[in-house]
Amino acid sequence: MLIPRLPVLSLAQTMAAALLALLAISPSEAWARVKLITLPVRERVEIQLDNEQATLVEEERIVPLTKGENQVDFSWANTQVDPDSIVFRVLSGEEKDAPDVNVLAVSYPPNESALVWTLSASNAGSARVRISYILGNLNRSVNYRAVASNDETKLDLSQYLRIQNLANEEFGGAGVWAGFGPKFSKPIGLNETKELLVERFKSVPIEKTYACNPQEYDYLDRAQNKLRVPMHYVIKNDKEHGLGAAALPFGKVRIFIAGGGDDPQAGTAFLGEDWGKFTPRDDEMRLYLGVAQDVVVKRTIDKNEARRISGNLDDHELIVKYEIENFKKKPVRLDVTENLRHLRGEVRADNGRDVEWELGPATTFQDGPDSERSTAEQLTFHADLPAASPDGKAEKIVHKLHITLKNEW
Amino acid sequence: MNANNKRNSPPQGLRRYALASLLAILSIPGNLRTTQAENVDLSTVPSRDSVQLTIYNSEDLTLVRETRVVSFKKGVNPLQFSWANTQIDPSSVELTILKPADGLELLDTTFPHDKPQMLYWNVQSEVDGAATIQITYFTSGITWSADYTAIADGDESTLDLEGFVRITNNSGEEYENAQVRLVVGTINLVEKIAQLAQIPMSDVEKLERDELYAFKHDAARRSLALAEAPAMDAAGGMGGGAGMPAKAKQIVKEGLSEYFIYTVEGTETIPTGWSKRLRSFEASGAPLKIEYRYRPREYGEQLVRMYLLANDEKSHLGTTPLPDGVVRVFRDNGRDGLSYLAQQSIKYVPIGDKIELNLGVDPEVVFELVKTRAAREEIWTQIHGTDKFQLVGDDARRQEVNSSVVGWNDRLSYQQRIRNYTSRPINVEIRRPYDGHVTFVSDLAPQLHDFQTVELATQVAPGEKRVLDFTIVQHLGTNAKQSNVTLAANKAN
Repeated sequence: MLIPRLPVLSLAQTMAAALLALLAISPSEAWARVKLITLPVRERVEIQLDNEQATLVEEERIVPLTKGENQVDFSWANTQVDPDSIVFRVLSGEEKDAPDVNVLAVSYPPNESALVWTLSASNAGSARVRISYILGNLNRSVNYRAVASNDETKLDLSQYLRIQNLANEEFGGAGVWAGFGPKFSKPIGLNETKELLVERFKSVPIEKTYACNPQEYDYLDRAQNKLRVPMHYVIKNDKEHGLGAAALPFGKVRIFIAGGGDDPQAGTAFLGEDWGKFTPRDDEMRLYLGVAQDVVVKRTIDKNEARRISGNLDDHELIVKYEIENFKKKPVRLDVTENLRHLRGEVRADNGRDVEWELGPATTFQDGPDSERSTAEQLTFHADLPAASPDGKAEKIVHKLHITLKNEW
Repeated sequence: MNANNKRNSPPQGLRRYALASLLAILSIPGNLRTTQAENVDLSTVPSRDSVQLTIYNSEDLTLVRETRVVSFKKGVNPLQFSWANTQIDPSSVELTILKPADGLELLDTTFPHDKPQMLYWNVQSEVDGAATIQITYFTSGITWSADYTAIADGDESTLDLEGFVRITNNSGEEYENAQVRLVVGTINLVEKIAQLAQIPMSDVEKLERDELYAFKHDAARRSLALAEAPAMDAAGGMGGGAGMPAKAKQIVKEGLSEYFIYTVEGTETIPTGWSKRLRSFEASGAPLKIEYRYRPREYGEQLVRMYLLANDEKSHLGTTPLPDGVVRVFRDNGRDGLSYLAQQSIKYVPIGDKIELNLGVDPEVVFELVKTRAAREEIWTQIHGTDKFQLVGDDARRQEVNSSVVGWNDRLSYQQRIRNYTSRPINVEIRRPYDGHVTFVSDLAPQLHDFQTVELATQVAPGEKRVLDFTIVQHLGTNAKQSNVTLAANKAN
C-alpha cells in the first residue's frame, strides 16, 4: 500500500505508540516523500514495575528492512513516553536470515511526539527489535487483605498488585513484573485498573499488642488519668512467621476477623483498615485496630523530687505509677512506653538537651526495659496482665517506673 | 539552494526558505541599451560549497564557516549577503578570500540602513575569474547536548556505557551537508573569564551587554583559531558494502588545549526545528564497583547505592572527557529484560576521573542509627559575680548555691545498624559531619574525611546484621575549645 506520510499521523493517534518502518521506494527520485509503511505488530510486551518512580515498558517488534538505509518511525500521540529514555536494541539470532543491523542516528521531528531511527541493514530481511521506554501514568500500588483467625493468633495475608493504566495505551497480553512475587501475563486495556493476587501467606502467626505511650497516644481521659490503649496486630516479616522472603511494600491493609462458629468464613467481620508501612525483612508491620476499652491504665507521677547538685544543677527523681486493670476474659500483655523527653517536659521546662537517666530500685517491671525497642530516649516495658475472673472482676496490677533524670538545669 | 537569477529587488520568496544567501551582483555595463533602466543589476546566487558548524554547549553559540565559489570580474565587485529570519549576529559576519591568494581585496562592508539583516561587500579584483571565499559568522539557535545510557549486566559486575550527542537546530536556517564540530567543556566560559580578566575589574560592570557578547565572540574565535578545521570530508561512512550494514558514524575526538572538539564523521543535514542524536562512544564491559554511601550533605539522610566506574582505558573508556549530561541507568534484570534504576545528571568527567552514579536507596539494605545512651560529664559551674569556676565531681559535689553550669560534655552512644538482605557482600562507607567541638570515640578505625567529618567503612556479608558502636563526646559551653572533630579509641575496660 502506498500512502504518503500524512496518514502516519492519524494512525499514530489511534495507536498510541506506533512503530512504522518507512521504506523509501527510490531515494534518488523525487518520489522519495512517498513511503511504504508497514505496521509491525508487537510481538511481546513487558511492563517492569519494579521501580516505584518510573514504569519501564519493553516491547518487541519484527521490522522488515530493505538492504541499506531504512527509516523506522516511532510515535506516541497522547501518551507520556519520555523520548530521551527510549532504548532501541536489535536482538540477534532469533529470526531466520535476520540482517545485521546498525543504528546510525535518531532524528526528532519538530512539534511531534515521534522519532525516526535511521538503520542500516546488511541485507533485506526481518529484524527483531526491542524498544524500552519509560511510560507515565501507568502506576502500581499494593494492597493487602488480612483475615485473622478467630482467636487472633494468626492471619491469612493476601497481597494484591493494582495496576492503573491511565497511560492511554493498550497492552494486549503484557508480561508484568512488580519487583516482587511471580511474573504475570495479562492484557491491560485503556483506562483499566487491574488487581492481581501476588501472593497468599497462610496462617501467619501474629501478636496482638496492647500499648500505652502518653507521648504518642496521649490520654484517653486526662481527668481520670486514663491512658489511651491502642491495639495492633504485629506481623513479623521473617521466616519464622512464614514470611521474610522479601520486604513488604507499603500499602493499605483491610483487616478482617473470622467468625467463631462452625463456618468461620460466614461469620467474617471487618475490623478496619490501616496503612501498612514498607517493612524490610525482620521488621514488624504494625496494624492499628482501634482503642482497647477493656484494658484500663491509669498513670500518675507519684514522686517528683529535685536534688541540687551544685548551683542550678539538679537531679530529678521521679516515680511514675501505672494502675492497670484487664477486664478481658483472657490474659493480656501490655507494652508500657515512656518517652523521657516527654516525661521531663511534664515536671520541668524543656531545655532541649538529651536526657541522662538512671533506673531506680523501685521499678517493678521485672525484666527491665525491652532492649530491642528501647533507646536513649524511650523505654518500653512489658506488663503481663491476668484474665479477669469469671464474674468480670479485674485484678488491679500496679507497676512503677522509678527513674532519675540526671544533671538537669 | 535555489539558483534562480533575480534582479536585485529583495528576493523575498527565496529568502523565506534559503535564509542566509549570498548574491553576486553583476553590474551590466551602461552602454548596453537593451534595457531602459540606467543601472540594472543582475544577481547570481553562488551556492555553498561546504559549511562547517562548530557548536558550543556551554553557551548558545555556533560558529558557521561556509565556503562559496564566486566569479569575479576585473574591477569592483559588489556582493550582497543577507540572513533574514535567522539568528545570525550581524557584527560577527566576516569575509575571507581563500583562493586565489592574491589579486582580490575586500574594500569595504556596508550595512544598509533600510535593509536589516543584509550587508554589502565590495571586492576589488585584478583579474576575471573564479575565487573561493569563506564567510564566517556566529549564530544562536543551534545547540548540542550529551546524554548517556548505562546498562549493567545481570550480576552488576560490568556496565555498558553509550554516550550520545544530540544536536538541535532552531536557528531558522537549514545547513545542508554540514560538517559538524562540537566543542566539549566549559572552554567558552574559561576563555570569557580570561578575556574579562584582561580588563580592570572596575570596568567589567560597566560593560554593556553587547560588549560582553563581543568579548565572548572574540574568545570563541581565538579558541577556534587553535582548532583549525581538519580537511573537510564530504564522504560519509554510509556506503554499506556487500553483506555488511553501514556503520554508525564515528565521532572523532581531538583534545586541544584545555578542551575537546568532537567532529562528526562526514556531513549532516539537520532541518530547522529537528534534532538528531548520534552515538559518540560505546564502552562495553566496563568494570563496575558497587558501594553504599551515607553522605547526608551530598545524598540526603539516606544510604544510597552507587555504581562506581572510571573514565579510563581499563574501562574501555578514557578517549574523551564526558560532557555534562543525563545518564539513564538500566540493569539486565535476568529475565530477558531491563530494569530501570535511575536517571542522573553528571557533570563533566575528565579522562581518568571517576564516574559515580547514584541509584538511590536499596530496599534490600536497612540502615538505622539508634542513640542508646546519653550522659553528661565534666560539668563546670561558675560562681555568680566572680571569675571562679569549679568542676562538679561525683566525689566532691559542692552545694554552691550561687553558681550556674557554664560548660559540660555530652557523651552520646550510638549504634549504627546495617542489615544486608542482598545476595552479595556490600561495602558501606559512612560520613558523618559534626558541628562544634567533638571527640569521636570508637574502635572501628574511623578516618577524618575533613576537620568535621568522620568516615567509617565496613563490609556487611549477605544476611548479616552488623552493628557499629560509636560514641561522640560533644564539648559544650565553656568546654568547647575548638570547632573540629578528633578521633579517639575506646579506653580499655
